Amino acid sequence: MKLIKNILCAGAVFMAFAGYAQSSKGKSGTFALTNATIETVTNGAIQNGTVVISEGKITAAGTAVTVPSGAEIIDCTGHVIYPGMIEGGSRLGLTEVNSDARTRDFSEIGEVIPQIQALTAVNPNSVLIPVTRVSGVTTSLALPSGGMFPGTAALINLHGYTPNQMYAGFKGIVLNYPQSGRRGRFDRRTDEEINEAAEKALKNLNETWGKLAEYHKLDSTITASGSNEKLDYYPEMEALLPVYRGEMTLLIEVNASNDIRSAIDWVKDKNLKVIFTGVSEGWRVAKELAEANIPVVTGPVLSVPTREYDRYDRPYANPGLMQKAGVKVAIRNNGAENVRNLPYDAGFAATYGMGREEALKAITINSAEIFGLEKELGSIEVGKIANLFIADGDVFETKTQVKHVFIAGWQIPMESRHTKLYDEFLERSPGVKK
Amino acid sequence: MGAVLIEEGVIKSVGKSINIPANAKIIEADSMYIYAGFIDGLSHIGLPKPKEKAIDRSQIKDPANPPNDLSGIQPERLASAMLGPKDKSVSDMRKIGFTTAQAVPHGLMLPGQGTLILLSGETPDQMVYRKETSMYAQLEGAPRRLYPNTVIGVMAKYRELYRQAVQSKDYLKKYNANPAGMVRPEQNFIEEAFYPVIEKKTPVTFRAESVLDIQRALTLKSDLGFDLMLGEVKQGWDVIDKIKASNAKVFLSLDLPEIKEEKQDSEKDEVSASKTESDLEKERLEKRKKEIIDLHYQQASTFKDKGLKFGFSTLEVKPKDIKKNLSKLLEYGMTESDLIAALTTHPAELLGLSTVMGTIDPGKMANLVVTDKPYFDEKSNIRYVIVDGNVQSYEVKKPKKKGTGKDAMPKGKWSYSADTPNGTVTGEIIITGEPDDYSGTISNSQTGQTTDLTEVSVGGGSLSLSFPFDIGGNNIQIQITAEIDGNTFEGNMSVGQLGSFEVEGQSELKK
Amino acid sequence: MKKNILSALLLLISVGLQAQEKGTLLIRNGTVLTITNGIKENSDVLIKDGKIQKIGTGLKAPSGADVIDAKGMYVMPGIIDAHSHIALSAINEATSPVTAEVSTGDAVNPLDIAIYRALAGGVTLSHAMHGSANAIGGQCETIKHRYGTVDPEELKMKGAPRTIKFALGENPTRVHGSGNGILPRTRMGVEEVFRNSFSEANEYMAGWNEYNAKKNQKGFKGVAPKYDLRLETLADILKGNIIIHCHSYRADEIYMLMQVCKDYGIKRLVFQHVNEGFKVAPELAEFGAMASVFSDWWAYKFEVYYSTAYNATILTENNVVTSINSDSRELIRHLYHEAAKTQKYGSLPNDKALSLITINPAKQLGIDDRVGSLEEGKEGDVAIFKNHPLSIYAVPMYTIVDGIVEFDRENDPADMRIYPNPEEQIDVTIAVSDSEYDRCMQDTEFLFNH
Repeated sequence: MKLIKNILCAGAVFMAFAGYAQSSKGKSGTFALTNATIETVTNGAIQNGTVVISEGKITAAGTAVTVPSGAEIIDCTGHVIYPGMIEGGSRLGLTEVNSDARTRDFSEIGEVIPQIQALTAVNPNSVLIPVTRVSGVTTSLALPSGGMFPGTAALINLHGYTPNQMYAGFKGIVLNYPQSGRRGRFDRRTDEEINEAAEKALKNLNETWGKLAEYHKLDSTITASGSNEKLDYYPEMEALLPVYRGEMTLLIEVNASNDIRSAIDWVKDKNLKVIFTGVSEGWRVAKELAEANIPVVTGPVLSVPTREYDRYDRPYANPGLMQKAGVKVAIRNNGAENVRNLPYDAGFAATYGMGREEALKAITINSAEIFGLEKELGSIEVGKIANLFIADGDVFETKTQVKHVFIAGWQIPMESRHTKLYDEFLERSPGVKK
Repeated sequence: MGAVLIEEGVIKSVGKSINIPANAKIIEADSMYIYAGFIDGLSHIGLPKPKEKAIDRSQIKDPANPPNDLSGIQPERLASAMLGPKDKSVSDMRKIGFTTAQAVPHGLMLPGQGTLILLSGETPDQMVYRKETSMYAQLEGAPRRLYPNTVIGVMAKYRELYRQAVQSKDYLKKYNANPAGMVRPEQNFIEEAFYPVIEKKTPVTFRAESVLDIQRALTLKSDLGFDLMLGEVKQGWDVIDKIKASNAKVFLSLDLPEIKEEKQDSEKDEVSASKTESDLEKERLEKRKKEIIDLHYQQASTFKDKGLKFGFSTLEVKPKDIKKNLSKLLEYGMTESDLIAALTTHPAELLGLSTVMGTIDPGKMANLVVTDKPYFDEKSNIRYVIVDGNVQSYEVKKPKKKGTGKDAMPKGKWSYSADTPNGTVTGEIIITGEPDDYSGTISNSQTGQTTDLTEVSVGGGSLSLSFPFDIGGNNIQIQITAEIDGNTFEGNMSVGQLGSFEVEGQSELKK
Repeated sequence: MKKNILSALLLLISVGLQAQEKGTLLIRNGTVLTITNGIKENSDVLIKDGKIQKIGTGLKAPSGADVIDAKGMYVMPGIIDAHSHIALSAINEATSPVTAEVSTGDAVNPLDIAIYRALAGGVTLSHAMHGSANAIGGQCETIKHRYGTVDPEELKMKGAPRTIKFALGENPTRVHGSGNGILPRTRMGVEEVFRNSFSEANEYMAGWNEYNAKKNQKGFKGVAPKYDLRLETLADILKGNIIIHCHSYRADEIYMLMQVCKDYGIKRLVFQHVNEGFKVAPELAEFGAMASVFSDWWAYKFEVYYSTAYNATILTENNVVTSINSDSRELIRHLYHEAAKTQKYGSLPNDKALSLITINPAKQLGIDDRVGSLEEGKEGDVAIFKNHPLSIYAVPMYTIVDGIVEFDRENDPADMRIYPNPEEQIDVTIAVSDSEYDRCMQDTEFLFNH
């Protein structure tokens, strides 16, 4: 009896120690990740290589790397270093418990409110964030939704205590392109009404755009004249002005093939910086998308076909079909609490036609390029921000374990609510009897 | 060339050389065609849809056990007692050749007992040929939040009611044999309504449009053992053997899907040489759609080929579409004599009327249809319909002049009803003012409120109204667009993003 | 004489079974994952008249039998989903806290395209459940994915044990307590609903027993209890004829139902979702209750906020018979991937991970003597994969039900609808996919209009 007690005691001490060692805080410094396979994404795979992280950046990556003195060495024998995965549009950070309206902060009232900032409402301490990042997703786009122009999306790194610490350098204004399709099985409108509503919505969009053109003209005239005159407070137009001038990205959410065609037409001759998002029926119009040279962020890949008569695997194959037609494709998960499944969205795309290499790009470098951050994110290259993770195998394989995660050079504690509950309950004590 | 002699509503003789009594009224049917009157196997003729009252939910103590009129459990109601001989449906259906019909009440799972009517007469008594024909049933749940709401609730409730009725019937039998010392059985009209069904004196008539509803009715039949009639069957072609094995009687729907002619794409001709992937996809889909529509059109001939006798039912079809739809069936495998049989002798047999109806033979009821050309000839007109010896004559209508450009006059009081997901909404629309300056109000039975119309406009025969409506604090603009035809209108009510619902109305003043 | 009756009876049964198509098929040279009997490399599986006749090498195909060359492929038992709502026209009779009398068997819809899409994910059998709006919901139907028929009866797995849906927590309390102002509004009330219902059913049974005992006595004048389909069903639960499948999330409510079942002598109990099952895993194991869980769903509502994706592993390691289910038209298409997540969250070995979607759900539905593993004598339900089913690169190639190939990746056309909609406008698309969470609450959305 005594013996058992002693063993239990030892166990408790061990647990306490483990808890202490595993600090919940991130850790910064100089790290050398040695003996690793490096999936650079942009320059192929490097065997037996070393990556050095210092002051938030990747300062060395390759086989002939000298480990700086004082660096903390992490032996990565048998492991693979990947660039951090980038989620191309989700509600992560903007919602906590989705059924509870009090924790939902992604949809504001108003049809045209581009000035609304998603970054403002990102909760840095959301329980969902650690659950996501320990799976290797280091960055995600916080996406507002709702009306026609529901706000400004912001790319965030999944570590930090203020919006500024998390902000990853990209913002884009969201446009929900008018839908011509049925909204779902409960949409009981007639075909004519659906068409009418779509036409009306497009008319509204064009009216807003007309106002914006006026606003741009006025603003340009004033600027050209060098006068000190100021336009009246008009935050919507002020927010949209850089989009109109092609200085800021417009994220156009569009899914049905007819709508994609219509949206391609709409952006033509406007000289905008545009990304199409969603694009669930992109495969139907892949050629047109490629010709228009519009990049897409598509997903979720694990979704049901949009139409009853579509082949069962269309959503899986969609990213690959677009990519093969020549479209630049990034993949998103589009969820909130399970954005950690992003590698599986990409993995299914890889399996159903896209191939491993392209699928990996679609959650790393392509996303970075589409968001204009190809110099900072998306690959293992010297000079880039140290967003990366170390896994014991293929990133897409379900059983693969992520061993370490770095975000902007910070070593992230590998724990989350899910791991903590596992540690506590795998062998619950007391068991059935107290 | 022949003559039919009718005396007191009965066919006396039929032939080339018959003695015509001196006092007989002679109807010249020179070069005309005479058919036995058509029999409608399942209809709402003479039973207009009642205006729905708003449900006062605060009065419902237990949503799991609502009053029977709300749950739709009303098998004790008699269609024969609810008949409106003046209802437009009677003259509309007679006008196209129907002289007899099984009429059933509107309602939910158990709307009441059907009745067999003649399409003539001034009073319900004069119309009714047989008071109770069958227990009418639908797989139709109670309004939302009230039990039984879904098909699974409805099916369970049928089983329970039926078995409770069997139980109480047995007890009643024992009680009647020797009541001494036994607890008096309580009067229960619902259970009593099942007794003739349990005794197999009358069948249950199930409205069963879809292939699934047909089989659900068959399941209940096999679980409980009653005689079954399937009405308004629209999708039965794949389950004919199953229906046959059950001995159920069948009335096929005369409501058919329409092939909408798609507008020709102007660009299509240019690129017809090289079809794009999406053109090919569209072609494949059009083909599948055509195939399924064809299956609907072929249903009657498929049943015929499988040797299953059937009649027709008209719960859904609009009277003005019936002849057009019958012609469709002609194109799809039915012959003229097949169709006449399905309109006369077969329903007569299925409804147990063969001795009195279905053919033009001496001794049968004088239910006749007289046309100037063969009935299915596109240009044929019905000249006389004789019901129970009563003659109704019809003038050949001259083609309507179209495009007079005259606007309809919407002024006055209209009653309307609209089918919405919340149930049928009824109310009154009152339009006042002058052309180009109409205004008015609309009332809503569910909310009990009357609202001002914000727009009333008329162009030709179309009427357009709009008004605001409050849904949970959101103000939504509702738009009604309808075609006025004399003293009725038909059209759509669109409720913002929520959808569009059918609406119809009737002038209250001109009635 | 007796013999004659017997053979006539046998004839009748075989005629009855004839209605459901049975196939003969040889699957050759695959890596056979039997689940219950290890892995057999380069082996054949012979299905005759719908049943697995032999697993071995060098088997000969009976004349006329189809042959599938599974060289380089993985052959596993058809995947089983212990919680789904596909192929149903109605899911929730949400109008009463107790609706034991209703049955989803009455709402089976063989035309649902989701059946085919599930087959395309290797799923051959699912538990078509009532929703979770009521504390005691309706009876459920175990269906085989025999796609292509319009006859609901052909989907039903004849002889499978009866099951019924129960529900705890937020859903029943929201629908009835908050929605209608009647019991239950709290988790206390949910317990009360169960105890009331079972007590009433006990009285009902006692009433019938008394009546039946006396009814043939001379001069008996008594009245039988009024037939009540709801109480009949509850009585069948008490008699052990129906397995309870209970929607549940929190540890306290899971514990509560086990106590109630103990008090009423109910032994057959499977918890569904059971997100906090890991917190009471030792108690579940002791009771013998089983658990059917999501691989990683959490945080979509408050009662699943304190969840972990390691749930399936913790339960499995605590000897609770555990399965992974879909509860979703989307997820049912890749349950093999959901099972693989237990290798990410807890490193379960292959055989244990695959058991979660085969033999374990079969146990939970009481059909493990017929399906759930590749064994001679079992039904010919098979899924054939390119690449290992637990790999992300797995592709279901063929899915076979009763020896009939129901899904064939290479040869099936794109459009697999049985009855297209004759009224549809071609070129209009459903641009919004279904909400995937909590399909359990379908048909009750109206209760929560904002």
